Order: sequence, then C-alpha cells, then structure tokens
Amino acid sequence: MTTKVSRKTLAAFLGPAVFALAIVGIAPLLFAVWKSLHYFNLTKRAQERFVGLENYATVLTDQAFWEAMGRTALLFIIAVPVQIVLGLIIALVLHRPGLTLFKTLTRLSLVLPMATTYAVVGLLAQVMLNQKYGVINQMLGWIGIESINFIGDPTNAFIAVILWDIWQWTPFVALILLAGLSTVPPEIEEAATLETRSNWTVLRHVQLPFLIPSLVAVLILRTADTLKLFDMPFTMTRGGPGSATEFIAVLIERVGNRQFDIGMAAAQSIIMLAVTIVLARLYIRFFYREVR
Amino acid sequence: MNMKTHVSALALAAGAAFGAAGSVGAWTLEEAAKPYAGTELEVLFLDRPGYNAAIKMLPEFEAATGIKVNYTTVPYENALGEQVRDFVAGGDLDIALIDLVWMGNFAENGWVVPSETFINNAALADPALDMADFFPLVLDAFGSWNGVNYGLPFDNYSGLLFYNKCMLEAAGFDKPPATWQEVMDTYGPALTKDGKFAYALQSKRNETQSADSFARFLWPFGGSFLNAEFKSNLNSPESQAGLQFRQDLMKFMPEGIVAYDHAETVNAFAQGDVAMITEWSAFYSTVVSPETSKVADCVEIAPEPTGPAGRKPALGGFSLAVASQADEAEQAAGWLFIQWVTSKANAGKYLEMGGVPARQSAYADPALAATFKFIPALVESWQEGVPEFRPRFAEWPAITEIVQEWGTKIMLGEVSIEEGAKNIGEKMEAVLAEAGYYDGKKPLAQ
Repeated sequence: MTTKVSRKTLAAFLGPAVFALAIVGIAPLLFAVWKSLHYFNLTKRAQERFVGLENYATVLTDQAFWEAMGRTALLFIIAVPVQIVLGLIIALVLHRPGLTLFKTLTRLSLVLPMATTYAVVGLLAQVMLNQKYGVINQMLGWIGIESINFIGDPTNAFIAVILWDIWQWTPFVALILLAGLSTVPPEIEEAATLETRSNWTVLRHVQLPFLIPSLVAVLILRTADTLKLFDMPFTMTRGGPGSATEFIAVLIERVGNRQFDIGMAAAQSIIMLAVTIVLARLYIRFFYREVR
Repeated sequence: MNMKTHVSALALAAGAAFGAAGSVGAWTLEEAAKPYAGTELEVLFLDRPGYNAAIKMLPEFEAATGIKVNYTTVPYENALGEQVRDFVAGGDLDIALIDLVWMGNFAENGWVVPSETFINNAALADPALDMADFFPLVLDAFGSWNGVNYGLPFDNYSGLLFYNKCMLEAAGFDKPPATWQEVMDTYGPALTKDGKFAYALQSKRNETQSADSFARFLWPFGGSFLNAEFKSNLNSPESQAGLQFRQDLMKFMPEGIVAYDHAETVNAFAQGDVAMITEWSAFYSTVVSPETSKVADCVEIAPEPTGPAGRKPALGGFSLAVASQADEAEQAAGWLFIQWVTSKANAGKYLEMGGVPARQSAYADPALAATFKFIPALVESWQEGVPEFRPRFAEWPAITEIVQEWGTKIMLGEVSIEEGAKNIGEKMEAVLAEAGYYDGKKPLAQ
C-alpha cells in the first residue's frame, strides 16, 4: 500500500533545502556567469562593460590556461590511481577478520591526514621538504641519500605535490572502499573463499562489483577535489617554481584575487565547471551502469 | 608717541606674539582629538617588526585621545586583496595601508584622501608635522602619486647588504664588497665552499621575485622595466646585462634559490650558511637577535653594492593614508593617528621598538646610529633610490604576476634571458595597452 504525500508536505520538506541551495549555490553561479560576460576588474570599475563571450575566447586561446589544465590532468592521472590501489589494499587488510585493536588504531590514524587543513598540509610540506633544514632531507641523510631540492626544482616540486596529495587522500579512498566492502554479503564472501584460494578471484568476481558505486563516488569526488586543488600547492609552492605547480585553481585564484580580473576568472571557473560536469556524467555513464 | 602709548604698543605686540605662540602651543593631540573620542578606527597591519612596534605604542595614543585603533594582522600576500575588496564594497577600513607599488591603484580609484585636506585644517594638523623632515625619496615614493601626497611613510625599507663579518674575515676580506662585480669575481668564489654560500637572493615566485630579485638586478646595471614611451625596456642591453649577471651569480647561491622567500633567506644567513644577503632593513632585528640568529655577533650592514649605473638599491615600504570611505569623524581620527605614529616626536621610540621611521631627524642622533648598525647604510641608500624601482601604477598587480612567472622561469633555465624578457615585455605592454597608456587615455606616470 502506498501513501500519497501531499504537495504541501513535499514542499515543506524539500523547500528549505532547495531555498538554501538556491542562495548559496545557484545565485552565485548565475552571478558568476553574468560577470563572465563582462570586463570586470575590481581595481578598474570605471572600465566595466559587457563584452559577450570575449573572456571565454581569451581563456580558450590562453596557453597558460591549457598548461594549467594539463598539469591538473597529469596530477589526476597519476595520483588518483595510486590512491585507489593503495586505498584498496588498506581497505582489504582492514576488512579481514582479527587484529581488532590494530585495525581500530589504523582507522583512527587514517582520519588524521584528511582532518588536517589543506593549507596547513602545504605549509607542513614547505617546512618538511626544505632542502637544508627540512626533516625529510635530514632523514634521507641518515640513510646516505644526498639532500633533494624538492621545492626549488620544477619536476621535484610537481612530484612532491603528487606525493603530498597521495598522503592526504589515500585514507579517504581507503575508508570509502572499506565501507563498500562492508556491503558485500558475508555469506557470498564465505562461499567464494570456499570455492577458491585466490584472493584475486574473490576480489575480481565478488567484492569488486559491490565496490563499483564506491569507486564511482571516489572518482567523482577526487576529480572535483583535484580540479579545485588550491590551498596545498598555494601554501607549498605558490604555483612555482616557474609554473611547475600552477594547477587550474591556482591560476584562477591568481587571475581573480591578485590581478582582480573577476570577469576573466569567472569565465575560467565556468569552463572548469563544465569540464567537471562532463567528467561526472562520463563516470556515471561508463562505470555506474554496471550495477544498475 | 608717549610712554603710555609705547607700553601699550609693546604689550599689544607681545600679546599678539604670545597669542600666536600660545595658539601654536595650544595645539595638543588631546585637544584635537576631543571631538572624536570614542571613534573606532579599522586598519590592516602586517606581522612585521614595524607593526609590532606600532602596536606597542597604541595604548599611549588611545589613552591620550580616546580613539580606539582596531588592527587586523594579515599576511603581506593578502593585504592588497583584503583592502581592494573592502574599498570596492564600501567596507569598514578607515585607514589604508599602502605598499609603494599600490599607490597608483589606491589614488586613481579615489580610495584615499589627499593629505592636504588635513594639513590645511588647523584643528587637525600638528604644527610640528614638518613634512620636510621625511626623507624626500621616501615621502615621494611611498606616499605620493602624480604630485599629490596621500600617505605618510610608516613602515619603511631599503635594500641593504647584510654580511657576516666573521665569514668574510675568515676568507681574508676586511670589508664588504663595494660593487656587484666584486661579489662575482672575488667574494663569490672565496666564500662559496664547504657547504656554505657567498650570497642568497630571495627569488620565490611572488612579490619577492619581482621586487627583491628581478628589479634588484635591473637598475644598478642601467636597466628598467619601461622606457620613456612606456614600452618594455627589458631587452635593452643594460637590462639584459643585469639579468645575465643575476643568472651568473646563481653559482654562488644555495641550490633551489627560486624557492627562497624572505624567511628562508634570512634564516640561511642567521644560521651562518650564507655570508651575504641583500634584504630589507626591517629584518635587522631578526638577524641581530641571539634568539633568532646564530651569527648575531657577526652581523654587519652596508649599502647594497653598486653596479655600472650606480647603487640604485631596492626600495620598498608602506604609508598610511586616510580612507575616503570613512566618515568625517573617522577620517579626522584616522589622520590624527597617522600623524602621531609617524611623527618626529615618536620616531625615536618607534625605532627603539623595532620600527624603521622615515624621519631624517631620527637618524641625526649619533647614539642611535651606534645602536642600530643599519642606520648609516639606510640613510645612504635613501639618497640613491629610484621611486619607480617597481612601477607604482594601477597595473602593477597584473604586471608583477607576469614578472614572477617568467622571472623564475629564466632563473630555472626554462627559457633564455632574452626570450623570458621578451615574453614579459609583450605581456606587460598588452596590460598597459588595455589600460590606455598608448592612446593617451592615461598619463605616463609610474
């Protein structure tokens, strides 16, 4: 038997959420779209004017924008698979029976990197990776490795950002996948382990199908996180040296907050939003359908 | 004229003189501030010695005037953005903190009030204000735009050569280098050994790259950002020579110098790993304090070395100006505070508490010069600086970002000096064209 819910009740339940979303999400977005169609520089208000799609044309033909997009994509392509593999290994270890105290402590320690403010993570990296005084180079020295110029070398700085991102977000992936593993019916898992001694077979044919929704969630969230990655590289390298760690969000912040060109920064943001939406739809289309 | 008339005339004259003297003497901060007691002022400060000195002095001002100064401390990198947003939105700030490269921006947007407004108001102007006592270069560069003064110099810097006398003596030098060529030919090779380096040039990709690194090697070599027509001068032989010199000098600097900001550079010097740095006068207290410096006893200060075109040292600093968005009472109270904190009377105290005043009279005292070793070098530097060391027009925030990006790319060898300078020049000219400098819409002021 189904109970028909009145429109008023629906409106009462949904209304506040829709209203809040409209205020904090939709209205600023529409404002950003409107401003992206203007020359709008905070320090040159007298020159404000409607320019149509000129800002978009400038962004789409701007080498710095595409280079920043390329760097962001490279970061994503390298960091996220590593996070998924490491996260899956941690989740599988924690999913095994036994070692309760160890697993509780591990779960707790997994929360720490995620709970640390992004900007603080970047500042920590800046100090810890300092070539002369940083603790990491000191530890490398103990095992006879020459100090590494992590922050001052373009390639090393990029690698350092990737490693730092992996450190911070692998625990998040592990916890999501652990939650996904808990949705696998125990009797099916037990039956499978009786059928085969191969952990890989159990993972591939029993556990992985249940992990697909979690993996899609991880992909969507990590894609969005990577596209908006700002605090950590900004405090760690400020986009440098050169442009080595100028990811797309760092570039947009530079244009909007340091050059005060809000119209251009809005156009960059809208393009980035479009990219995010397209990627999210692709994930859902190609991965999520398997478990429909 | 009889005696009675004589006496009366003298009395009248004396009375008039006394009255005049009395009216000068009658101006006190307390009296001037009476109508504004209870006014609260909002201002941004930085976490630097000059601001900490002012904070220590605030209770005295507040007790004398009843005016409350509310300061918010922000990192330098956020200070411009915070203020721009506040002024655009008609916010709370009553006093503007203006880095010299922001002056054109603040003045052209009408965010600050010309000082003349207050100087011509007898109720607010301290008769002892003495604008001529400010170092002319500093007053012009830090506080004025297009011939109009807006701000009084508050937190004042000049680039100075900090050197470790002990390291230099151990290498056989009894004095600091007088020229950049000496640094390259003699001091550099002799002091770069055993894991120590002769020199560190803070070059991180932020304002440090533009101000402390890039510009520092343009001017002494005869280069500049712009020529007389406001076109890029970065590919001139002089500018190229300066940038090439910087590139060549890197062999005497620690590896990864493009990641060094002020903190890393001062720290490397304070740890005894680097023999010489060119830093702002404001870092003096850090390197001579045994709490923050291992080499406190070895620190000596000299003016920056000279290049083929002279010294032309790095110039930086902040003025305080009254914000036009403040109401009448806040503007008056704001002026009283600015006038007081930058006054001749307070300059010695400000200096002793860690600040660097721009008052010539403060540095005339030989006792102070003996206590603060940077004073002779600072005074000398402020005679030889160029106000447009970094152009101060409203377009600098956009141009500095270009310089920061390509300046570090040049240092890293990702592009040649010529190619990097050409890139900066083209992008810089595009910004200036958009602003209207080439079609006569804006005067060629920097």
